Amino acid sequence: MTFSEENCLPYLRAAQNPDGGWGFRSGAQSRIEPTAWALIALDQAFPANTASEAIAQGLRFLSDAQLADGSWPAAAGQGDGAWVTSLACWAFLSTNENRDALKRGLNWIVEERPGDSGAWWRLIRRLTAHKKVSMQNDAYWGWSWTSGTASWVEPTADAILVLGATPRDLLPPQADGRRKLAEAMLFDRMCPGGGWNCGNPMVYGVAGEPQVSTTVWALLALREHAERTEIQQSLAWLNKNWSSIQSPASLALTQIALNAFDCGNSEFSETLARLYEPDAISWSVPVAAWAALAASGKKFWSQRARVEIKN
Amino acid sequence: MAIRRVANYESDLSSVLFETLREFDLPVRGKTVLLKPNLVGLDPIGMMNTHPAVITAARESFLRLGAAEVMVGDGPAMDRDTQAVLESIRLREFAGPLSRFFVDLNTDDVERVLLKTRASRLRELYFPKTVRGVDFLVSMPKVKTHHWAGVTLSLKNMFGVIPGGCYGWPKNILHWAGIDRAILDINAAVRPDFAIVDGIIGMEGNGPIQGVSKAAGVLILGDDPVAVDSTSARIMGLAPEKINHIAHAATLLGHIDAQKIRQLGESIVSTRTPFAVLESFRHLRQEAA
Repeated sequence: MTFSEENCLPYLRAAQNPDGGWGFRSGAQSRIEPTAWALIALDQAFPANTASEAIAQGLRFLSDAQLADGSWPAAAGQGDGAWVTSLACWAFLSTNENRDALKRGLNWIVEERPGDSGAWWRLIRRLTAHKKVSMQNDAYWGWSWTSGTASWVEPTADAILVLGATPRDLLPPQADGRRKLAEAMLFDRMCPGGGWNCGNPMVYGVAGEPQVSTTVWALLALREHAERTEIQQSLAWLNKNWSSIQSPASLALTQIALNAFDCGNSEFSETLARLYEPDAISWSVPVAAWAALAASGKKFWSQRARVEIKN
Repeated sequence: MAIRRVANYESDLSSVLFETLREFDLPVRGKTVLLKPNLVGLDPIGMMNTHPAVITAARESFLRLGAAEVMVGDGPAMDRDTQAVLESIRLREFAGPLSRFFVDLNTDDVERVLLKTRASRLRELYFPKTVRGVDFLVSMPKVKTHHWAGVTLSLKNMFGVIPGGCYGWPKNILHWAGIDRAILDINAAVRPDFAIVDGIIGMEGNGPIQGVSKAAGVLILGDDPVAVDSTSARIMGLAPEKINHIAHAATLLGHIDAQKIRQLGESIVSTRTPFAVLESFRHLRQEAA
């Protein structure tokens, strides 16, 4: 039995709540983000072992939680959509289910503009350019964590990934333009020398340090540009950073990115088993899902879905 | 409030903190306590985050004072991988297995709270249930300058209770709502009962992440977070009345006027250690008396 089958699959199955969703941990409130990751992992990493009823219940939870404008909130009761909309769409895309919910979610993503995309905001930035503390190019923008705030690396990468994986007939017309602009933003926000942090590569002239998770999401989102120097530098940073990783979350995410570029680390399973502690604070539903996806070696995001999405 | 001189993290911090906390006669016997340190990101050299020796000594001290349970919790703002942050500061080596006492506030269950102060544009925020449920909340920042807020002390440290799982990494909604006023909204909703400021080694210049290490050699403690921050700012050579979020908080949450702050231990003058600030914060400097 593999590490995933022994640890990730039972954990994910046991953590599903009666309402069909998953919380960040077993017994926690159901939320969109862990639910989406659990569904993607169950479907992609354990296709032969998973009860389809668990996935059906999870998808029902997502459908019920969708807001009228097509978005999803990060927590139940929040009235505005958030970055988790991309993850929910990804779950529907991965499982080829609920075309209507997916389409409405994709429309929201493409229509949603971050606070730093507005003409007023950009005018102020231009007028106060002498006070600028970060050297980013304000012409580029992507997606924000929550409505009306600035563009950041991870939510931008999430949106690029889901738009890139969506069949063309489901994509709103503006999707390609948004993707291109957002990709330019990610390249602009790379830390000097490679890798990404949350989105501040240079503040007051001081270079920011890259982080694992944001570097992984940015690399996945920009995987079609593998030949570019920035990508190669960032992959080199991830590889160099491997030996200093001290948590299953960073390890699994690193392996997911390396797999996407066909350079997965052969010591992944051994290292994960060494770092794994069942009651560790970081052993959560998303981390168990990432570990399973990393171990599967699958590039679950790597191409447009070709199968028909069911209604 | 109290100022204690502590030369380094190898000092007997448990004794210093226990003896000082005892003087406050805090109502913690049989209660649940949450220590909220400032954990920002990976920090192998110990400059950015509240030092694990201070966290551990505080935890031991509250247990010795009779607390039923002392948890440590934070929601790092810049990095999702909370365990990686904790491992980078070696908290496990100081305090034992993390799962026994640490709560990741970024992914905790949440509840909606309507903000009565409405100082910022925010009308409501979701807070971790752990933060709302404990009997006694302790803010434990590190003394640092901050490139947006001027300084980050016990009031600004409370940004860390806002869950990334609801608002992202960073919690950018707070910046867009107006940092200084959002600090007041958050502290009014979950006012810390006590503050312990790690001023043994702080950060000056381009804080809270990219600044320069600054030894100040003090711990600053008190049951009024505004008074603690005002005193800490004065030790840093800054005028708290000119720091917007401290001035805002003083209208509702505590004392900024030095004459109204009862002081134990060392004096501000004897521990004054001016911190370098960015050019845009030069106006915060306080002339030495």
